Amino acid sequence: MNAFDLTEDQQDCLQELINVAMGQASDQLARYLDTFVYLKVPSIEQVKSEHLIDTLNQDLKETAVVSQGFFGYEGIRGEALLIYQPQDSNRLADLLGYEADELTFDEQIIDLSSILTTTFLNVFASQIDNQMSYSAPRLLSANLGTVSEHLQQQSFNWDLALKVRISYQVTDYSFNCDMVLLIPEQAIINIKTVIDRILEEF
Amino acid sequence: MSTNVLICDDSNLARKQVFRSLPESLSTDVQLAKNGEEALDILRSQSIDILFLDLTMPVIDGLGVLQALKDENIALAVFVISADVQPEMQNRVMDLGAKAFLRKPVQLDILNENLRTHGFL
Repeated sequence: MNAFDLTEDQQDCLQELINVAMGQASDQLARYLDTFVYLKVPSIEQVKSEHLIDTLNQDLKETAVVSQGFFGYEGIRGEALLIYQPQDSNRLADLLGYEADELTFDEQIIDLSSILTTTFLNVFASQIDNQMSYSAPRLLSANLGTVSEHLQQQSFNWDLALKVRISYQVTDYSFNCDMVLLIPEQAIINIKTVIDRILEEF
Repeated sequence: MSTNVLICDDSNLARKQVFRSLPESLSTDVQLAKNGEEALDILRSQSIDILFLDLTMPVIDGLGVLQALKDENIALAVFVISADVQPEMQNRVMDLGAKAFLRKPVQLDILNENLRTHGFL
């Protein structure tokens, strides 16, 4: 038994909070890319931190990872990672279609990630009567050492992370990105308390 | 005479949220469906007055349900309640004959206002 073990009702409630947050993040994405985004039911799972590094390792070469910290009340905080698979970051480049004199691809992917992360977390937070502030988003260079070093520099310890796989399907393209929320155990316990409160109301 | 209501959403919490938001003045007989396929089974075999319909669902999604209702000439009031708030999605569901688009999480006063607008209260 660990902090991440959720009852069926808790899982359902968390899923619904995430659905609502994802819906608004997708709406922002659609506006940003000026296209329509098909949504699928997101998957939520827990991952061990060492396993997360392994997953990253498989597609390391061109994987882009954008990292951004978030801080709310009541000890709810963590680090959001947006992980783009190689084929998807290439598609994203096509999709963004940036001009040479505009933002660089790095700047654009940071922008896009920050829009997705902050919209998602703002909506998530408002549903649990919380409010988030954020650190500046950072694009981690695509090598395992940098990513794992960055994760180890976090001021909290985490052995488990909540991994929310959100699949965005854009007309004519299909690109996926994984949003991984690294949430320390104490913050998870606090979130579960809020979930139980919501469940009691219904 | 009671109003036959069907609430279709893959989330138990979301179904309860809609159920609890129904006004007491509306005498209802409420059924629940966990996805579009379950909803269509009920809609094809029974007379339902109001359908509250989620969009992002497994098996058959909300757009699939709306399309099937249109193709099979099953007439009823459909209120879409979804987290997918993209304007184009709202246009699509309205084009497919939905009465209204309500964003999640559903607000009691907005739900009631829509029921009133469409003559159920």
